[in-house]
Amino acid sequence: MESKNVLVVGSGISGVASALELANAGVSVYLIEKEAVIGGHSASLCCKATDICSKCSACVVSDKIKEAVIHPQITLLTNSTIKGLGGELGNLHVEIIQQPRYVDEERCIACGLCTEVCPTDPKAIYPPFAEATPFSYILDEGLCLRFKGERCDLCQGSCPTKAIEFELKPKERELNVGAIIVATGFDVFDAREKGSLGYGRYPNVLTGLDLEQIFTREGYLRLPTNGKEPRNIAFIQCVGSRDEGHGYCSQVCCKYAMKLAGLINYQNPDTQVTIFYIDLQTAGKGFAQFYEKYKESVRFVRGVPVEILQTISGELEVRFEDISQGKVCRDNFDLVVLSVGISPGKNSWDLARILGINLADDGFFDIKHPLSSNETNIDGVFVAGTCQGPKDIPDSIAHGIAAASKAIQVLAESASQGRGN
Amino acid sequence: METKIGVFLCNCGGAIKNIDFDAAVKKVAKFPGVTCVNLSSDLCLEEGKKKMISCIKEENIERVVVAACSPEFQEHIFRKVLEKAGLNDHLLSMANIREQCSWTHDGDVTEKAVELVKMAVNRVRLLQPMEKKELPVNREVLVVGGGFSASNTVLQLSRVGLRTTLLEKEAVLGAGTEELESFYGFDTGSMISAVEVDKNIEVLTSAQMTEVGGKIGDFSVRIRQEGGEILRKYGAIVLATGHQTELALDSEPQLRAEDEAISGLNIVSQEQFCCMLGNSGLETEPKTIGFMFDFSDENSRFTTLATLNNALAAKKKWGSEIYVFCKNVKVDSEGMEKLYREARDCGVVFLKSEAPPRITAENGRVKIEAKDVFLGEDVILACDVLVAEELYLPAEGAENLSYLLSIRRDSKGFFQDENVHLYPVGSEKKGIFFIGGCRGDLDLGRVLTDISSVVMKVHELLSSGKILVELERVKADPQKCVACLTCIRVCPHGAIQLVRVDGSKEVAEISDLACDACGICAAICPAKAIKFQGYRDEEILAQIEAIQEL
Amino acid sequence: MNGCIVAFCCEHSAYPAADLAGKLRLHYPENIRVIRVPCAGRVDVIHILKALEKGAAAVLVLGCEDGACHHITGNTRAKERVKYCNMLLKEVQIDGRPVAMFNLSPNAPHKFVRAVNEVTKIIKESGR
Repeated sequence: MESKNVLVVGSGISGVASALELANAGVSVYLIEKEAVIGGHSASLCCKATDICSKCSACVVSDKIKEAVIHPQITLLTNSTIKGLGGELGNLHVEIIQQPRYVDEERCIACGLCTEVCPTDPKAIYPPFAEATPFSYILDEGLCLRFKGERCDLCQGSCPTKAIEFELKPKERELNVGAIIVATGFDVFDAREKGSLGYGRYPNVLTGLDLEQIFTREGYLRLPTNGKEPRNIAFIQCVGSRDEGHGYCSQVCCKYAMKLAGLINYQNPDTQVTIFYIDLQTAGKGFAQFYEKYKESVRFVRGVPVEILQTISGELEVRFEDISQGKVCRDNFDLVVLSVGISPGKNSWDLARILGINLADDGFFDIKHPLSSNETNIDGVFVAGTCQGPKDIPDSIAHGIAAASKAIQVLAESASQGRGN
Repeated sequence: METKIGVFLCNCGGAIKNIDFDAAVKKVAKFPGVTCVNLSSDLCLEEGKKKMISCIKEENIERVVVAACSPEFQEHIFRKVLEKAGLNDHLLSMANIREQCSWTHDGDVTEKAVELVKMAVNRVRLLQPMEKKELPVNREVLVVGGGFSASNTVLQLSRVGLRTTLLEKEAVLGAGTEELESFYGFDTGSMISAVEVDKNIEVLTSAQMTEVGGKIGDFSVRIRQEGGEILRKYGAIVLATGHQTELALDSEPQLRAEDEAISGLNIVSQEQFCCMLGNSGLETEPKTIGFMFDFSDENSRFTTLATLNNALAAKKKWGSEIYVFCKNVKVDSEGMEKLYREARDCGVVFLKSEAPPRITAENGRVKIEAKDVFLGEDVILACDVLVAEELYLPAEGAENLSYLLSIRRDSKGFFQDENVHLYPVGSEKKGIFFIGGCRGDLDLGRVLTDISSVVMKVHELLSSGKILVELERVKADPQKCVACLTCIRVCPHGAIQLVRVDGSKEVAEISDLACDACGICAAICPAKAIKFQGYRDEEILAQIEAIQEL
Repeated sequence: MNGCIVAFCCEHSAYPAADLAGKLRLHYPENIRVIRVPCAGRVDVIHILKALEKGAAAVLVLGCEDGACHHITGNTRAKERVKYCNMLLKEVQIDGRPVAMFNLSPNAPHKFVRAVNEVTKIIKESGR
């Protein structure tokens, strides 16, 4: 009996978009996610509106995640990964392993009583970040006394809905599905790999993602060191893109840097933002308007710096080649933001091996041929989103929807051919 | 007789400490119409829900107020509870006493909580039951265009079982695919053949829309062909009319085609250059070629792709010296950075400048002067052929189409308003979609994704032949409507039409299929004829009534 | 209750932003009553005036950012209506109580809190 279910692996924006389309079309969807919360990277991006919307689409992500969590056709399995794949086209058998969560997300009402009584510092049981979905508390095995051998069940005792359970083992289950959509997303380029840029050494060197999270959670930009407002900010583009290890453009960085610069200037017109770039990626719907407005207030310098040093006063000295003058210059900034790129997910290797799908040269999942958008070398297995290559949010959503359409076609074809037993 | 209202309060497991629930329950019990007040610690869990259902049944409750966490995640859950208890699921109102009360204020917030409950009670008293129904829709799809996007869309729609009409204004299909053929080895011929033999696809060439009316599931389209007009009905319309390019040479007025020195092949478009490359009968192979892009138009993804492919092809075929003048190389598309490196490795020279180069004619050749950013000096190049910069523009007729369909375009004239909620392929009107080059600067990867996305969207809407709607969610009272047309003009979703009732009177009719329940019409109607269930004037004003001002 | 703000919050933007403010345990004054609407464009002049008539110290309409309205034009219409309301109030000389429009996204809880704090300050300063 051919399966009418679809498995979507990964609950970032692309996976969620896929799942929603399928669910709205009446298909039963299993949405699995390796973390305890869904949404992936884009769930913690901030709104970059100034006096008008800057089209960053971060709000679209929160809408879609909410829709997915309450949709009756979507079964959400967090803390879950794929262990094995069997079966045949039309009736794939997928082995899933679900790590114990200890706090049952169906029963947790986020009352906070457990955190109040937890004796450790930092707390071993805590709320997820504010915009997290599902909004259920998380027990950290690494911090919890019980998992270190001590006898403590204070949180369990305080829980009014009996949501906490310690004696849990990883659970295995087998899913029968008609198609699989891999939407496992990306890893942020680890800026520590470019040691000379100072990330991890100097507290006032941040990545673009760090900045987004600061805006979402604090609302204002303040220097990590002294809490003052930065007056002079540098953005460095192409950190982890268009270099020896990454032969591609990450597509999102120029836009997010410019939009963050716009937001910073809107909040504080006196702050000077400088963007160091190779080629400014300003193409795309809705961007030209924004660019026209902000290009006068931002200082653009062609040429990406390779070294940042912290001065005695705590400022960051950026050494770069001023191409128009043809010499090496130094400028001081309060804050440096590294526009880090999109790298292939580290888990891609394992998943590729388990599912039998190919990786391309750059480490992202490969598509069958240039004229396909989601098909892999395995029939019935599709890719969606940044796990296949860098994309911004609208393109990730579109790619997810496209994958859903391919999955539906496979289900229809399997049904009409009466495949499977 | 007053409707019986049941109020269910939840203290979130006992964690809500700054509300005195006992006092609150006493106050709430005194509100008019409230016959039952219940305090729970776990309303959203199975046990809590079960107790709620039995309470509703036992006490014959007719309306329900839930005072707990935010309706955002729980409203749909409690609606199901009402259904299970035998009530219409719309007779529910929620008071947000957790996220918007207990969690954000210091000190005792009992007074505010009680007031929030009162607001919800006042509202729920007035709520009307609502019915859902499946309305039939037409399953045929109209795809406007005849190029790569349109043809692949109809082929994929056919595969999911939907019948389509491909409407092309030219006499033949396959316009605009020359570059795809030369860059990717794409075979237009076999695509057209596949379209022509497909039984689910009707091809109308030399045909144009002259009138469009109706709404999703029921569009009426008048099509003019050679020989007459036909009237057709469709469930959805997809625009895939593509783009056009125009040489951006208006800064150099002397370089018009009339100028003898530059007439002929010296200054060409990318498409013309493609033809040159494919022309085996070319008289002289150009020894020096110049390319230009990204000065007048930020949307240069397509021109970057064309330049890289053509430059590489020319290098391989003729071994010419190739110089590319640009401001920024647009590599934010799949495979573009690789192609850019390949071009440079092959010896194509990229000269970046901030200001557009000056172009003049000299001795029958094209002279290009630009200040190179890296050298800091002027570079002067005399070349045999200049592939000039092109502007990426919406296809001809875009303005007319947008007028016909009453849909918005963006600031550059491409289809689809720049509102992020419409992406990737939607418009503000349900059932009308845009794909491909007609909505902006897209590369092949994005076009392919657009095609599959729209197939999914259309399939979702139409494949079952019916759409579930809430009946008369927003309705114009025919007794009060004076047909002033205001609501029709302001509805952002084009969901309102003028219809004739009782044989003579014309009134506004809001389509349940096309309505997106925003309420803009309800607010603007001068006769207060439009009722938006759940958000009627009385329902909003009743909430204001509940607030105690001093 | 003294100095009450009646805030019409659109369900796509301001309402979830207020919820998120709650999850972050951001604090703002208690004197605000939120009325949830499907779109800022649903808010009519009569609703604003009724709230003022009932004694509200300020009336706010909160909708999506300019250019990001789920219903394309709803927030623009709301803005115009708020302007019209202020003009009316000035003409009959009942101005002095703020009627204002704010634009925000669902993931901008700080903007919601800022709006409430700003308006509360104005009310306190005008002595109501």
